[in-house]
Amino acid sequence: MKITIPHLGNVYIAVKILFDSLGLDYVIPPLNNREALLWGSKYSPEEICLPFKLMIGNYLAGIHEGADTVLLVGSCGPCRFGEYCELQMKILQQLGHKIDFIVLDPVKSIGLCELLHRMHRVGAYSKKTRMRKLQSLFMAYKAMTLLDDIEKEAHWRAGFEKKPGECKRLLNQCRNAVYSCNDPEKALALLQEYLETIQKIPVSPERNPIKISIIGEIYTVIEPFTNLYIEDVLMDMGISTSRHLTPSWWVKDMLLKTMRLNSRELLKASDEYLPLYIGGHARECIGEAVLAAEEGMDGAIQIFPMGCMPEIVSKAILPSISRQKNLPILTLVVDEMTGEAGYMTRIEAFTDLLERRRGHVYIGS
Amino acid sequence: MYTLGVDVGSVSTNMVLVDYSGRVVEKHYIRTKGRPMEAVQAGFAMLREKYHDRQIMAVGATGSGRAIAAIQIGADIVKNEITAHAVASISTMPDVKTILEIGGQDSKIIIIRNGVVTDFAMNTVCAAGTGSFLDRQAERLDIPIEEFGEFALKATVPVRIAGRCAVFAESDMIHKQQLGYNTCDIIGGLCDALVRNYLSNVAKGKEILPAVIFQGGVAANRGIHRAFETALQMPITIPQHHEVMGAIGAAILAREKIQQEDRTTKFKGFSVSTSAFQSKSFICNGCTNQCEVVSVMENQKAVGFFGDRCEKWRNKVSARALN
Repeated sequence: MKITIPHLGNVYIAVKILFDSLGLDYVIPPLNNREALLWGSKYSPEEICLPFKLMIGNYLAGIHEGADTVLLVGSCGPCRFGEYCELQMKILQQLGHKIDFIVLDPVKSIGLCELLHRMHRVGAYSKKTRMRKLQSLFMAYKAMTLLDDIEKEAHWRAGFEKKPGECKRLLNQCRNAVYSCNDPEKALALLQEYLETIQKIPVSPERNPIKISIIGEIYTVIEPFTNLYIEDVLMDMGISTSRHLTPSWWVKDMLLKTMRLNSRELLKASDEYLPLYIGGHARECIGEAVLAAEEGMDGAIQIFPMGCMPEIVSKAILPSISRQKNLPILTLVVDEMTGEAGYMTRIEAFTDLLERRRGHVYIGS
Repeated sequence: MYTLGVDVGSVSTNMVLVDYSGRVVEKHYIRTKGRPMEAVQAGFAMLREKYHDRQIMAVGATGSGRAIAAIQIGADIVKNEITAHAVASISTMPDVKTILEIGGQDSKIIIIRNGVVTDFAMNTVCAAGTGSFLDRQAERLDIPIEEFGEFALKATVPVRIAGRCAVFAESDMIHKQQLGYNTCDIIGGLCDALVRNYLSNVAKGKEILPAVIFQGGVAANRGIHRAFETALQMPITIPQHHEVMGAIGAAILAREKIQQEDRTTKFKGFSVSTSAFQSKSFICNGCTNQCEVVSVMENQKAVGFFGDRCEKWRNKVSARALN
């Protein structure tokens, strides 16, 4: 068995640690790029959301390098993501690829037994002891939380750093260093080290940078290729960003959902505007917007792929939050047709708007 | 001393010279024709005959081609067109609350309260109603674009045209022509349809309060102006230099920046008009990102790079500039 995964932000690094630790044979497809999008769009239904297309591109790249099994997570609805795997299996089958899908759906939908059974299908190929397998899972989760923490620190500190560009440089360096390390224990230690280094980046606390909250659909906010590297762009502008949705948040959310203990703060914040679940992460998006206003952020940017049903609903609600809570919100819709020029113009104009609102003339570009 | 504002747009490249009091002393409107660098050079060739490099104290660039223009001319500030348009409008009419702007390829609405931009929107997927569409229709009806608006004003019973999409609008217009409707009524109907499309698409959900300014190349079209006034039921002002407002904004911003930072301009001089510029693009194979990198060469020397995510190429130029 040679296993591959679709990309989602930094998940590939944690998955690599997991597979290395289990001693499995695996292929990590090249990071999302034009080629993945090209092949993905070619073989996907035209109207499907952008993440679907990129995932197909990832599988094809993985298959090209000899993968015969895909490991991915699912949610069994209620937005299209929940049933991605079914359609993706069909598409790959029609293309003549013999490929096995192992879909980790939430306990709520398939039951604990089935989930463990599916996990065992991956684990069975590992010759390690049961103890080691469990340990590997924990290590991967630990790595994911560390990665998310590092990213969070870098994105927030970018507005305060003394040497411009240091946060971004360290973040990229960290990704490369950890990814090229094949020893899972060493990789974890490296992550810990980087977290400490990034926490020690010299900052000017007296600076008062623009602070923006990134909200919206989970895939497009996490996967930088889809949002045209918006967080990097904002880091370059010396703007602090914060984002609630991360891969480790998702795992936690999925686990706690069974006991209805997930993201209580976010859901409480969304109650006033959207008290019920409508699929995807629409409630979370609304909650984040409300929290952004309460936490004193200067603005929020909502990102979602063209045709994302839950986010279209939240897009319609956001203007009233914007009015009532006095928080400027910019909505960006992305798909494979997104033109970079218009996109950047909107982001630049939005940050100018935030600067000028603060009551002083902002020049500098 | 003057400040120079350059707005490199999709259809036109505009240049203005603004004096210290903010008065426009010179303006040029050049067709970009898909070759922004040549358009900038053409403009500079005209300016060179009347002005000297030393008379320029600051330079600002805006428009969709702002990045490349900035490298070409040595701009002190590079600003997006939304901010530039807002700044220019506020300086010509301090109590403006809404700006309607329709250019060659895009249309925007900018909401201003107390002299500060509070909200904006740009057209997303459709170019119906922008300058290039009107240009094409004028050409098809064999009417000079300058007179297009006059025809609309002569309409007695404007025909209803489907304005949702440029392609449908065009086929609907052809259909109405075949049925024998009067050309003036068709053009009048087209103006109404485009305004309807703008208000329900770009300006959707925005609170349009007076004073309203209408600017951009399309503001010259009196038919559209009247259609806006009828639809919004309020007077709409068209500033004197409506077609070059972006460039004026860039000039104002450049002056502010130079004054604030108290330094001299980076302006390369009007001699840029005779340099040989070349740009070429290639795909960088340094990593799996596969960035599409554009390099700008001036007299066979690389002066700028864009599109590289890791800044590997961009740093090459800045490193050289330091030496």
